Amino acid sequence: MSGMLVSARHVAQRVFAQPAAAVALAWLAALAVAAILAPLLGLDPLAQDLVRMLEGLSRDYPFGTDELGRDILARAVYGARTSLVTAAGAVTLAASIGVPMGLVAGFFGGWRDAVLMRIVDLLLALPGIMLALALIAVLGRSQAAALVAVGLTGVPTFARVARAQVLSLRRRDFVTAVEAFGGTPAYSLTRTILPNSWSPILTQMVVLSSVAILLEAALAFLGVGIPPPTPSWGEMLRTGKEYLYEAPTYAVLPGLVLTVTILAFDTIGRALSSVLEGRDAPLARPVESP
Amino acid sequence: MIAFVLRRLAQLLPVLLGASALIFAMMYAVPGGPVGVLVGENATAEQIEAVTKQFGLDRPIIVQYGDWLLRALGGDLGLSLHSREPVLKLITERLPATLQLAALATVIGLALGIPIALGSALAQGSWLDRALSGWSALALGVPTFWVGILLILLFAVELRLLPAASGYVPFWSDPVQAVRNTILPALTLGLYVSGIFARFLRGSLIGELNSDYVRTARSKGLKERTIVVRHVMRNALLPFITIVGIALAGFIGGTVVTESVFTYPGLGRLVIQAISTRDYPLIQGAILVILLIYVLINLAVDVLYVYIDPRIDFQ
Repeated sequence: MSGMLVSARHVAQRVFAQPAAAVALAWLAALAVAAILAPLLGLDPLAQDLVRMLEGLSRDYPFGTDELGRDILARAVYGARTSLVTAAGAVTLAASIGVPMGLVAGFFGGWRDAVLMRIVDLLLALPGIMLALALIAVLGRSQAAALVAVGLTGVPTFARVARAQVLSLRRRDFVTAVEAFGGTPAYSLTRTILPNSWSPILTQMVVLSSVAILLEAALAFLGVGIPPPTPSWGEMLRTGKEYLYEAPTYAVLPGLVLTVTILAFDTIGRALSSVLEGRDAPLARPVESP
Repeated sequence: MIAFVLRRLAQLLPVLLGASALIFAMMYAVPGGPVGVLVGENATAEQIEAVTKQFGLDRPIIVQYGDWLLRALGGDLGLSLHSREPVLKLITERLPATLQLAALATVIGLALGIPIALGSALAQGSWLDRALSGWSALALGVPTFWVGILLILLFAVELRLLPAASGYVPFWSDPVQAVRNTILPALTLGLYVSGIFARFLRGSLIGELNSDYVRTARSKGLKERTIVVRHVMRNALLPFITIVGIALAGFIGGTVVTESVFTYPGLGRLVIQAISTRDYPLIQGAILVILLIYVLINLAVDVLYVYIDPRIDFQ
C-alpha cells in the first residue's frame, strides 16, 4: 500500500488494536514517564544506605539494594534514561547516515552505488558487537562512544532498506513523471521517493531500537559501555553477577526490565510491519548473538 | 565453479583491504598515536626517538601499512604489549575454546530449532504454531547475558550441578568435563540461535508444503509422513544450511558476551581483556583474524549454497 494514502493515525489505530502491541506500548510509556519524572518520584540512584547493603526485596527498597547500599529500583529507573536516550540517539544517527547513503546509491547507481555499497560491506565485515568493540577501542569509553558504536552498526540496515525502496519506486509513474518534467535528482529524492519510503524506514527504526538497547546493555555488561556511576542496566547486570549467591535479585530484576523493554520494541516492530507491509518483520537482529 | 569462487574473492578484496587499512589506522587514532601506545605516557624524548626509529614509525604511513600487512599475511601480528608474547600465538591458543563452544551451541540450536520449526509448520495457524512462533520471538529478544545469569542461578547456585565459571577442557581429552564446562554457555547461545533456526526453517517448510509437488504427492495418496520426511524436509533444508553457516560465522567473535558471563577463555574474552589493558597490537591482531574467519565462512556459505542447489548456476 502506498505510504502517503495511509494517515499516521490510521496506522497507529491498527497497530495498537493488536493486544500485544498495546501492552508493549503501555510498558514503554510507563517506563518513559518514570524515567522523565524520576527526580520527582523521590528516587535517588546514588544515595547510599550503608547499613543495608545487598539486601533482598523490602518495603523500603522494592528491588533491594546493591553492594554500595544504593536503591536498585531507583538505579533501574535512571538506567531507563541512559538506555532510551542512547538507543534513540543511536537509531537517529544510523538512519541519518544510512538513509541518505541508500537513497543516493539506489538513485544514481554506477560508481556512487559501488562505493557506498562497499562501505556497507565494510561495516558488515565484522559481527556487530566486534565492530562496536573496535570503535570503542579507538574512541575510548564514554557515553558518546557507546552511542556512535551502536549507531554505526545500524547504518547498513538503513542503507539497504532505503536503496531497495528507491529501486522499486523509481519505475513508478509518479517518479518518472517528475523526472520527465525536469525535476532535479534532489527534488525527486526528497519530494517523491522519501515521502513514500517512510513505512519500511519507520519499521526498521522501531526494530533497531530494540537492537540498540540490547547492544548498549551488552557493551556496559562487558565493562566498555557508558562509564559508572551513570546507572545503566548492562552495568547493573555486570555487578549483580558478582553477587549471585548473596543477592540473586540484584542481577535478575534489572535484567527483567531490560528484557521486557527489548521485547516491547520487538512486538511493536512486528505489529507495525504487519500493518504497513502486510508481512512479518524481517529478521533485524544480527544472526550472531550480541 | 572455480571461476565463481575467484570472482567472489575478487569482490571481497577491496573490503578486506579497506578493513585491514582501518584496523591498521586504529593505532593512529588513539591518543598519543602508535608511539604513545608503545612507550606509554611518561616516556622521555630519547625513548620516543628510539621507538620511532626501531619500529620505523618515521616512514610514510602507506609504507608502514604495506609493511604491516605483508607481515600480517606472513603470520607476524607483532607482540602483545601486555604479555610480550606473539599475538598470533595468543589468538591460536584461544581459538579451540571458541570453536568448541560454537559447535556445541549449534548442535543445541539445531536440536531445539528443527523440531520447533516442524511442529509449527505442520500445524500452521494453530495455537501450537502461535506458541512455537512466540518461542522464536522470545529466544531472539531475551539478552543472552541475562539468560546466562539465570542458568547460573539455576544450575550452579540452586542445584549445584554445574560450575558457575566455565573453563576450557578440550573435548578429546576429557569429554565429560568438557561438556560439564561448555554446556551452560552453549545452552545460552543454543537457545538464542534456536529462535533464528526455527523461524527460517518454518518459513521454508511452509513454502515447500504449499508447492505443487506436495499437492501431487498428496493426491497420489502418499502418507503425509513420507511426504514431509522424504521430500519437504530435503528441499527445505537446502536454504537452511546457509543459515546454519552464517550462525557459525557469527559465533566466531560474536560470542564475546556469553564468554564473559561464564568467564569462558575464548577469543571474545581475549578481545575484551586486550581492550581493557589497551593492548593495541593484540586488539588489531584479534580483530583482523576474526574479520578474516568471518568473511571466509560467509564466502564458503555462499559457495556451498550454489553448490548444493542445482537450480542456481555459477553465473
